[in-house]
Amino acid sequence: MKKLWNIFKAGLVTDNPLLILMIGLCSALAVTSTVSNGIGMGLAMTFVLLFSEIFVSTFRKAIPSSVRMPIFLIIIGGFTTIVDLVLKAYFPELSKSMGVFIPLIVVNCIIMGRVEAFSYKQKLVDSIFDALGMGLGYTWVLVGMSAFREVLGNGTFLGVQVMPQSYQPILFFILPPGGFLIFGLFIAFNIWMKNRMALKAEAAAAKENA
Amino acid sequence: MKGNARLGLILAVFAAIGCGTLAVVQGITAPAIAMQSEKALNESLKKLFPEAASFEDITETLKSTSKTVSFEKAYLVKSAAAPLGVAVKAVGSSYGGAAKLLVGVGLTRNIAGVTVLELADTAGLGQNAMNDAYYVNKAEKITFPGQFKGKYLTDAFEVKKDVVAITAATISSKALTEIVKTAADAAAAWLENQAAPVATPADQAAAAASGAPAQAGAAPTGGK
Repeated sequence: MKKLWNIFKAGLVTDNPLLILMIGLCSALAVTSTVSNGIGMGLAMTFVLLFSEIFVSTFRKAIPSSVRMPIFLIIIGGFTTIVDLVLKAYFPELSKSMGVFIPLIVVNCIIMGRVEAFSYKQKLVDSIFDALGMGLGYTWVLVGMSAFREVLGNGTFLGVQVMPQSYQPILFFILPPGGFLIFGLFIAFNIWMKNRMALKAEAAAAKENA
Repeated sequence: MKGNARLGLILAVFAAIGCGTLAVVQGITAPAIAMQSEKALNESLKKLFPEAASFEDITETLKSTSKTVSFEKAYLVKSAAAPLGVAVKAVGSSYGGAAKLLVGVGLTRNIAGVTVLELADTAGLGQNAMNDAYYVNKAEKITFPGQFKGKYLTDAFEVKKDVVAITAATISSKALTEIVKTAADAAAAWLENQAAPVATPADQAAAAASGAPAQAGAAPTGGK
């Protein structure tokens, strides 16, 4: 249980795909101009990641290592297309606002990276927790970044006006440079948190030894 | 050699399973997707022509004369009694990629309305063309596409002269105006060719045939 929790936690902070591993950045910077996009993209990516990891982990013995890449791509592409079709059919509004980003999940390095580095070598249960941790780790950063960018750059949160009418939105935050700035601040925050956690763990370990 | 064949076979099996699954999902969702896009189109056509009762597909006979703007669909919009005008779904490129607009032209050669269907410009700037709460004319609450409503085709369609630009998004404004202008001109020309109201299917075919040669010399629809 402790091990699974550690795998899950790694995705959130210590091995956060965006802030530590630095993969899947293009989507993170592109969609985070509104909170609803951030949530939608995060959940869609988590769904694809989860099912890809489950599938790869289950069939890992049947996948020869010399053709694993094309097989991973078939699996990831398949689940992404399913998400795309389902969104188009039943959630047209969401599909409209994220239109171009969904197909990009296929080339989101987080999925390829985790499938290759984790679930191809690990047991099914571990893979599920890794997928959930990584997916949520991706989602919280997206939602956090988009919250800052939407509130400062557009004066709204989830489309609802939260800043006073007199507030002049700072367009900078909606534009790519603002995205990079916020992203950098998130990296700094995450490293601070990671160091704090490490210190705490050290202190706990020292206490136990003493 | 034998090993390679085995790898190929395994790859083929995975690909086949993937294809099969997608075919099933596609089969389940296709009707719903078709219904959604039909619904969206009907709603936007109704917005341009409130009295519209039926739509007739005239995509084949209405071709773009511009290299940068292509027409995806075109409809002759009719009320219960008579044609009301033409609606064109035009695609052109704007600042952030393809922009899809629905442009309606009435029988009086003025623009019945413009709706932005798809746009991928900068949020907060060019993307405001899709924002129903962004007004280029704040006093009268007129949106960017809204300002084209009622505009005559004899107007200049020049951004910052007779078309109000979106603040800090001149490229988007110009691109969208260009799409509106191209689509509206083509629609008006089509209506010109069809001066007599369409009565019977036979007339219709004849009219379509007479309309086609006029467009025959047009450049093939653009797009990369």
